[in-house]
Amino acid sequence: MEADVRRDRTNYVARMKFWRRKKENDLDRELQAHLDLEAEEQREAGLLPLEARYAAQRALGNTTLVKERTRDMWGFILLGQFWQDLKYAVRGLRRTPGFAVVALLSLGLGIGATTALFSVVYGVLIAPYPYAKPGEIWAPAVVGPKETPKYPHFYPPREFVEIQKLPAFSSGMATALESVLMTGDHAPESFGGVFMSGNGFNFLAVKPVIGRTIQPFDIGPGGEPAPVVVLSYRLWQRLFDGRESALGQKLVLNNVPHTIIGVMPPRFGWFTSDGFWLPLSMDPKEESYLNVIMRLAPGVTKQIAEEQLQALNQQFARVAPQNFPKGDFRTVFLNYMDITVASGEMKSSLNMLLAAVGFLLLIACVNVANLQLARTTTRAREIALRLSIGANRGRLVRQLLTESVLLSMLGGIFGVLLAIGITKAIAALIPEFYVPNEARITVNGWVLLFSFIISVLTGILFGLVPALECSRPNLVDSLKEGSRGAGGSVRGQKTRRTLVVVEVALAVILLAASSLTIRNFEALLNINPGFHPERTLMVDVQLSPKQYSTIEQRNIFAQTLLERVKNLPGVLSATIGNGGMPWGGPRSSFSIEGLPSTEAQRLTVGLISADYAQTFGVSLRRGRQLTDQDVMRGDHFALINETAAKLWPVGQDPIGKHVTLDLLTKPGGRQVLVPSAGAADVTVVGILADTRNAGLRDATTPGIYVPYTLLAPPGRVLAVRTAGEPMTMLNTLRTVVQQMDREVPLARPITVQEVLGFETVQPRFNMALFGAFAALGLALAAAGIYSVISYDVTQRIHEIGVRLALGASRADVLGMVLRMAGSVVAIGLAIGIAGSIALVRLVRFEVFQGTAFDPLSVLMVVAVLSSVALIASSLPAYRAARLDPVTALRHD
Amino acid sequence: MSTDDRIDLLQGTLDMLILRTLLFGPAHGHQIAKHIQRTSEEVLKVEHGSLYPALHRLERKSLVAAKWESAGGNQTREFKYYRLTAAGKKHLVAEESKWKRMSGAIGRIMWPV
Repeated sequence: MEADVRRDRTNYVARMKFWRRKKENDLDRELQAHLDLEAEEQREAGLLPLEARYAAQRALGNTTLVKERTRDMWGFILLGQFWQDLKYAVRGLRRTPGFAVVALLSLGLGIGATTALFSVVYGVLIAPYPYAKPGEIWAPAVVGPKETPKYPHFYPPREFVEIQKLPAFSSGMATALESVLMTGDHAPESFGGVFMSGNGFNFLAVKPVIGRTIQPFDIGPGGEPAPVVVLSYRLWQRLFDGRESALGQKLVLNNVPHTIIGVMPPRFGWFTSDGFWLPLSMDPKEESYLNVIMRLAPGVTKQIAEEQLQALNQQFARVAPQNFPKGDFRTVFLNYMDITVASGEMKSSLNMLLAAVGFLLLIACVNVANLQLARTTTRAREIALRLSIGANRGRLVRQLLTESVLLSMLGGIFGVLLAIGITKAIAALIPEFYVPNEARITVNGWVLLFSFIISVLTGILFGLVPALECSRPNLVDSLKEGSRGAGGSVRGQKTRRTLVVVEVALAVILLAASSLTIRNFEALLNINPGFHPERTLMVDVQLSPKQYSTIEQRNIFAQTLLERVKNLPGVLSATIGNGGMPWGGPRSSFSIEGLPSTEAQRLTVGLISADYAQTFGVSLRRGRQLTDQDVMRGDHFALINETAAKLWPVGQDPIGKHVTLDLLTKPGGRQVLVPSAGAADVTVVGILADTRNAGLRDATTPGIYVPYTLLAPPGRVLAVRTAGEPMTMLNTLRTVVQQMDREVPLARPITVQEVLGFETVQPRFNMALFGAFAALGLALAAAGIYSVISYDVTQRIHEIGVRLALGASRADVLGMVLRMAGSVVAIGLAIGIAGSIALVRLVRFEVFQGTAFDPLSVLMVVAVLSSVALIASSLPAYRAARLDPVTALRHD
Repeated sequence: MSTDDRIDLLQGTLDMLILRTLLFGPAHGHQIAKHIQRTSEEVLKVEHGSLYPALHRLERKSLVAAKWESAGGNQTREFKYYRLTAAGKKHLVAEESKWKRMSGAIGRIMWPV
């Protein structure tokens, strides 16, 4: 079969060759016959035989040209010509290996970096999900009339049931997250459990590796979920070593044995990639909050669906106004692709990097265009000769372009090889939690297609200028010039220098961007978080909500644990609670006694024990701390931070004032317990210094700290400041906990310093990539400067020889060449810096938030670029200065 | 008539003239060139160089067919004779009427009555 194909192909090629030869012979004969007849006629008219011959030839014109034009009529010819051009191009490249290597390196780097970044963009932004048609999944958001929607709205189960009945939707699914404690045969462990509505897996349309997924029948008529669980691929590997016998086995989750019914493929990562999925309770009385997503029914527009849901939302708001913004609101649909974890910072960062890498590719193009131009200028004579004997300009341009595209395709192949490595490096560097679980960053088919297109375009882009430049029919000059060899054509020189200016300017912009990311990162490192992050370990202590079903049980466990931990050797201080460790925490609506209530504002709540401030090194500004007694008794005392203190009018002392904290009576979430005789009212007793309680890069939000005993979720965080290396304390802590209850796991051990590190990971990523791209751009620009200056020196050897012979000193020559380089670099620098300033002003880049292009950055850029330019041009300058005038004068 | 008074052929008209010439019967390249030149009373100059590309173009479009044949009584010399095909005839008719309309229109503009 294959052999047949091959034979057919050989046959075809053979036939083509035969056909061509026959046609060629034909044409020769035909033209010869014409010439003979014409000559005969001329002889009959009385000319001598030789004269007649010449006259006939004159009448026909340039035989080669006639043949060429006739051949053009044959069709197939373009292919033939292309082949011819290709062979010619390969021969040309072989003749100038130095040029070929430099050009291929430039192109390879440019195309490689672009391809690698595109593969990241493709994996993270374009196709992050394995789910069916992720671009057609919508998440409803509810916002005030002027607010911009950012986060989806959460609905309780009974509302979700109503939403599914709307005709605008073809299907909908709900997801809820809650920590789940696993006990039983395996070591106790707490998981972020993902609960899904019955049709959830069908909605996402991903098939399991083995077994089945959760189906609508797994949720009973009353909304009660069946005790079944679907495992993630990673958990299956970890607990069962990937054995199929896992199906049908039981996991004890929250004290209930659940049957394993299926395992999902590795790329399925709906809210977890190493946990499991459980059926969601649809009990209408349940006060849980569900993440709801929908698909539109065929023919329904987004607007119609929004209108229908808006009407329904208004109905919901009448029954449960606390779930909706006060006053007017509107319902907006967010596309699921726009609210991925990558959609904020990572997206803008990747877009910026894509632009940067585009610049890099452009520099590579300019570089190769320059080399190509220099090469074609030396070939000017050959080209002029071909033009003068009637070569057609379009054909010549086509040939030169074929050369460029061949070059760029070879560069592309090299680039793809590089891209595979670079992509791996970026994938290793990319901050994990800004990338969706499901994303896979690889060089795939689409990426290859992209890099193929980029290569062809690149070839045309850098090939066009030289091709047009040297095929300009200025034959006499070129022929003369080539023969003299003194001083290249002024026009070619100008074009080359302009290209270097462009290159330098682009490199400057890249450098400027990278200097901004460096400054940004530096600024972040210099932020004072308001607490001391050193040697502090945090662990989650997860209690079974069923075994610890009263707030007293949970508080006593926490108190005992804290007491024992404090007395451990090596522990300087310890605290337990939720929120403010070192940041975050539940947010609560509130009102201040005697002040008008502010609807929109929320307080960030820290549930703390007495030693919180001491453990985290937060200083007390005024008043007093919470005492152990306050905390143990659950007194309604509170500390506030300085930002919260500003909520009171100037002159009023917040200490001693009352604040109503809604969270204390309505904790939200069915597993969070409050004292039976709970009250929402707390008295401010002290003011703590501000900390960055919303994350390192965000402004401090008004915060309040109350005894942890007032609110008891099953999981709490234990923070321990140690005398030595904090992580070494982990096992001791685990032993203490296990002594109290063997089934309580310690989860997510992390040091505060590591938490701080996460905040800087995206800026670090930006800095690393921008830095790398700028360095590459700089290297390419340096190569460009070097090649142009060397070329200019070579072209001016004769002139330099004359100068030296006439008494110019070597220093003069050195200065002359360096000045030549200096002027080009200076113009490029000026344009580049002006361009960077304009760009930073024009576009508000999230990546460069809060940093301006200040004189220091400018100075940095100028210094780096000038020194690189000096090195690149000093080599040819030195060579020029060392020239022997006699040899130089003989040089042709 | 001096060579300066000759008119270069308009683009595309050469094809029509070749087809028209072949209406009288098969001819080889040289004959076609001479015929056009003569019948136009030496006004139209056929670049021999452009004649052959045109012939090969017409051949590729199947408007003419070509065949090597020996000329007249001389058996030793062969020429490539071009002959009008049915498609060629049709094409000629179409081109002719187009040309008539165009020259009429130009005439009316240049010499309005």
